[in-house]
Amino acid sequence: MANERDPMSPTKIGLGVLWPTCWTGLPIKLAFAVLAFALGWMELEGRLGLAFLMLLGSPVTIFAVPLIAVTLEGHFGEGIGLPLLFLLSIPIDIWAFGIVGKTYFLERFRKEPPDGLGFRLWWKSAVAGAFFLPVLWYVVSLVTETAVSTSHSLSQMESLRQLFHTGLPIAERIGLEVTIWGTVSFMVLILLLTIGISWIGRIIRDMASVAQPLSDNYQALITRWDLMRVPSDQGLFMTAVAGVGVVLCVLFWVALPITTPHPHECCQKEEAKAEPPFKPIEVLTRTEQEMAQIEALVLAVEQSQEPGKDATENGKGKGAEKVESRKPEGSPAVTKQ
Amino acid sequence: MQQPTISNEPSTAIEKIVAFLDARVGLKEIQAKMLNEPIPGGSRWAYVFGSILLFIFGMQALTGILLMFYYVPTADHAYASTQYIIHDVDYGWFLLGYHFWGSSAMVVCVIAHMSQVFLWGAYKPPRELLWLVGLALFGIVIGFGFTGYLLPWDQRAYWATTVGVEMVDKVPLLGDFLARFLKGGPTPGQMTLSRFFVIHVMILPAALMALAGLHLFLFRVAAPAGPFQGTSEEIKAKTDYFFPRQIWKDMVGMAAVFVTICGLAFWEPVVLLEEATPDPGEYHPEPEWYFLFYFQLLRLKVFAGEFGQFMGAVALPVLFMVLLVALPFFDKDPERNIFKRPVALISWIFIMAIIAIFTVSSVINREFLD
Repeated sequence: MANERDPMSPTKIGLGVLWPTCWTGLPIKLAFAVLAFALGWMELEGRLGLAFLMLLGSPVTIFAVPLIAVTLEGHFGEGIGLPLLFLLSIPIDIWAFGIVGKTYFLERFRKEPPDGLGFRLWWKSAVAGAFFLPVLWYVVSLVTETAVSTSHSLSQMESLRQLFHTGLPIAERIGLEVTIWGTVSFMVLILLLTIGISWIGRIIRDMASVAQPLSDNYQALITRWDLMRVPSDQGLFMTAVAGVGVVLCVLFWVALPITTPHPHECCQKEEAKAEPPFKPIEVLTRTEQEMAQIEALVLAVEQSQEPGKDATENGKGKGAEKVESRKPEGSPAVTKQ
Repeated sequence: MQQPTISNEPSTAIEKIVAFLDARVGLKEIQAKMLNEPIPGGSRWAYVFGSILLFIFGMQALTGILLMFYYVPTADHAYASTQYIIHDVDYGWFLLGYHFWGSSAMVVCVIAHMSQVFLWGAYKPPRELLWLVGLALFGIVIGFGFTGYLLPWDQRAYWATTVGVEMVDKVPLLGDFLARFLKGGPTPGQMTLSRFFVIHVMILPAALMALAGLHLFLFRVAAPAGPFQGTSEEIKAKTDYFFPRQIWKDMVGMAAVFVTICGLAFWEPVVLLEEATPDPGEYHPEPEWYFLFYFQLLRLKVFAGEFGQFMGAVALPVLFMVLLVALPFFDKDPERNIFKRPVALISWIFIMAIIAIFTVSSVINREFLD
């Protein structure tokens, strides 16, 4: 009979479940994240590492991130892609929690995994994260701000100024400051993360305490959790995975801009102005009208220059008026000759 | 009564081709050797780094070849052809972005892989040669980054190379020759670009392929190092073969790295500075981000002056590499659990802390320069 192992610490249990859960779901979520990038649905505020961590930790950050954004003005990014990605990560995380949780129950606790383990682990972790992560965010931000200002004051101390004749050199000063505030912030972050992981570990341990112990030997347990990871219809699974992959690739290819979305100032392209469409009938009619006008103009000029006709004063005046009125814009002032 | 016979004769065209090749090169034996490698304790996500590195190298080679269709390695046209790739070639900006971030991913994965080997004590006997070849591969990856950085021929490329070659110049005995060989003249110019290009696209890929093959061979001879958790009975119960479990994990790892690099190419595409000139103007020379910590380290007062520069630019990195090379030979303790090797654990934390602190410091230092 396989006996239950020595009781494990809640931190170890929490880490043992959360770490593989995060990585199990991440590759799927990443594919959708890149697609959201390509479609222009998501803009990150220069905090790619933070966004990556959020996505990695979405089993616990799912409710915490909107809370932090609203109450603590934490700004992660913009675009419809971010909430969509978080919504999409819910079923992925439930599936990942299920597969990791069942394995952990069988292999480590040697207990029968309860029904709906994935969903139960997901919502309990998400609620715990919603309470804990805003506190962590606030405390770490506060500690970092205080540590930065304190380290800055320390590096300006008079004793250090005397040690170096011209004060502490810039590179040393920056290095010293970063070491001081970085160490303090990192220690606080690690401490709080350990508390949070331990909390999740306690939740999992409580669930395991009421689960049925298993009487199978170790080989049988391994075979069971191993088979749990193999889909019943492998052909269908591979086809589905390949199909989704192809669809995502095609969508990505369609959404991918052909030329760079960030052109260099040397290579800005002028906006191409579309030429008006060529309409032969209209052009022909207009040309005919212009020809008729010019013909009439030439006729009028010829008549005005004929001897005897322009001798009378009245006739001269009328002829001149007509020519002036028919003269096309921009044409030479032939009447003044 | 006549017994029904089962024929082993190949029937389809593919089976016939496979049988033809198998008869001549032993295809099935090679396949069995490649795929049926036992993994004590079962497949693990922690084992994917080697395969991921091979995948990144393959993608770098592919994107590099595509970029070479348009890139002109001359001082007159390198900058313009790179701008042409970014602005005119269909999807050129994405290819260049992928190649650029792929090089960073390679450095990150190499360091992660080396850290893993160090922390797990996988460099200890009988895997000394595996460790040494791995170190040589690390050097090649860094060489790829250094030589590739010059190719766009903008201010960033030009001045980072100038600083790098000056550091090479400080190496005793060989430094002057190496610096002159790399530059090919008093200042970086056409000869420098040609030499860096040849090293980047011919010498380093050939060296990497040869050493990666040797690394894989040595790995198969030495077998996986673990760590294997549990009793010997438990490890035996969980043992499976390289195919299909580990291959599946490797494929998922490769896909994750692929989409991460695609995301980075989108999020931070390559944008060139002004074309390279011997006058830096207001530009402050800076290396690629993974060298920033070292660049900041060299700004410390202790590394000023002729002797200080020699210590920082030459003695320190050479000493570090000598320590890494000698590591499996002076660390004879068979203990491999990192929590029972405090010196190794503290050393690793110290090095990582130095890298993190000085990288952040370098970014802050920019404000003072600007």
